[in-house]
Amino acid sequence: MTALNVSMSPPASSAVRPVDGLVDRKLALWHLVASLVFLGVALLAGFSFSLQFLQKYPFPGIELLSPGRWRLVHTNGVAYGFLANAFLGCLYWAVPRLTGQPVYSRALSWFIFWAWQAIVGVTAVGLILGHAQALEWGETPTYVDPVAFLGLILVAVNFLTPIFRAKGPMYVTLWYFIAAFVWTPLVYAMGNFLAQYLVGGAAGGAIGGLFIHDLVGLFVTPLGWGLMYYFVPIILKKPMWSHGLSLVGFWGLAFFYPLTGIHHFLYSPIPLFLQHGAVITTIAIEFVVTTVIINFFGTLAGRGDALRTSLPIRWFYTGMVFYFTTCLQCSFQTTLTFQRLIHFTDWVVGHAHLVMFGVFGFWLLGSILYLFPRLIGAKAYYSDALNSWHYWLSALGTLIMFTDLLVAGVVQGNLWRNLAPWEESLIASMPFWLIRSVSGTMIIVGNFMFFWNLYKTWQMTVASRQTQPAMPGTSPMPA
Amino acid sequence: MIARPDETRTKRIVIGCIAVAILGPASYGFFEKLYLFILAVKKDQLAGFTIVPIANYLIVTAGMVCLLLWATRHGMFRNIEKPKYDMLEREAELDALDEQTRKNEP
Repeated sequence: MTALNVSMSPPASSAVRPVDGLVDRKLALWHLVASLVFLGVALLAGFSFSLQFLQKYPFPGIELLSPGRWRLVHTNGVAYGFLANAFLGCLYWAVPRLTGQPVYSRALSWFIFWAWQAIVGVTAVGLILGHAQALEWGETPTYVDPVAFLGLILVAVNFLTPIFRAKGPMYVTLWYFIAAFVWTPLVYAMGNFLAQYLVGGAAGGAIGGLFIHDLVGLFVTPLGWGLMYYFVPIILKKPMWSHGLSLVGFWGLAFFYPLTGIHHFLYSPIPLFLQHGAVITTIAIEFVVTTVIINFFGTLAGRGDALRTSLPIRWFYTGMVFYFTTCLQCSFQTTLTFQRLIHFTDWVVGHAHLVMFGVFGFWLLGSILYLFPRLIGAKAYYSDALNSWHYWLSALGTLIMFTDLLVAGVVQGNLWRNLAPWEESLIASMPFWLIRSVSGTMIIVGNFMFFWNLYKTWQMTVASRQTQPAMPGTSPMPA
Repeated sequence: MIARPDETRTKRIVIGCIAVAILGPASYGFFEKLYLFILAVKKDQLAGFTIVPIANYLIVTAGMVCLLLWATRHGMFRNIEKPKYDMLEREAELDALDEQTRKNEP
């Protein structure tokens, strides 16, 4: 593949090749479709697990369908099936367009696609068979770990090549992407190899804590924010409020985020000064996040109507509000005072759902909504109403689930603190768990409406091509 | 072409203040903890096991420091607002070319 005649600094020249030679649309589309398939499976697995809390689990007594194993399918399906695939799909669109260079190798890209689906598939089967590794969020069976690590290195090579081939000052999105491609394999190796084979005891626990949090902070956060810095200005057709401030946010994240993970193990045998260090860096991160939020809302200033007229923008900014909420929550809940009340309660579960689905899930669903018609050459969606229902059911469902679990956590924490019998805390939790299942149903219904809409849009586009083969002058759906 | 207004003095001051307000206390907190860690390792052998997570952090951070130095040396932070305009212009040009290609399809 040859590179485009565009450098990083000057705008694209007239010698620029058509965009089809730059972006492999089919590959991006397949990654996005795979991500939605895994999202569907993960949502159903999560929902069935939630029924266990209501004593209504649909498959009792079947070892392969035991709720504990399907909970792992839910969490790993979201992390490696939905998020990773959706990020890759978006990266195959964004990186070549930002750098003016195609990815390192198209063949390698397809190899990565199939290898990644195999990794996620084998992981799911391994988890169902009971081969989970004893590391939270790192339950991928030990025989999958080396392959997944190799896969992450190949992803880094494929995307870093065009980034480093480009010349001139880099746009902030590329800074975030560079960091993610370097950090993700390191974090994966740290959690899955160091804690498994080399470091035991409290030090192993500290490594596990770093891994859990760094998977959020050094894998999904840089990719997520990188994509927001790309999609928001191009949809608003307006530059970021301050590129300088966006770099402050990036370098702040780079230096303060990696040490925060130990806050997962407060009140543990890990030395207190190290726990305090994690608390301080977590609070420092909140300041960094504030700069990023200021920048995005500064960019929206004067274009507030986009929240009404552009559904992707609405997904993005809802995710940003949720992001600020989770980070603010994080800077409080990592203090020792808060931990006394909320540790081991459903508060933490609510927080995790808001981060993974309410923030990164929303950003990626907004990105898929924007990209899908462009990737298949559709003029419009089959139904705008279904897209709107998808947003509202997901947003309300997430908000209800988050608030419900937050309150449940406070109730549970207070009951335990007052030494109430364990059964009493279970009885008190039941109404909250019921609301959790109902809000989960809203999210599932909304997302399956979206899947149906995508399928019908694709069908409509194929039919329109058959009646009007070349679709001359087709313009992609506006944002 | 996208208008490229000069950054106002007030905006530059606001951004500078925000940067100092964040990086100052956060750096103080970080380096103080690092200093305490070194003292703890010197005084107490048991604290040595925390070298593993700290070493992990330092390896990652050392990479970022190198990247920061490389970026500064290669002028990545000169004319710091320019990339945001370049990105939008390139995107507009790619969209136009995309549109043109589709129109020219047989």
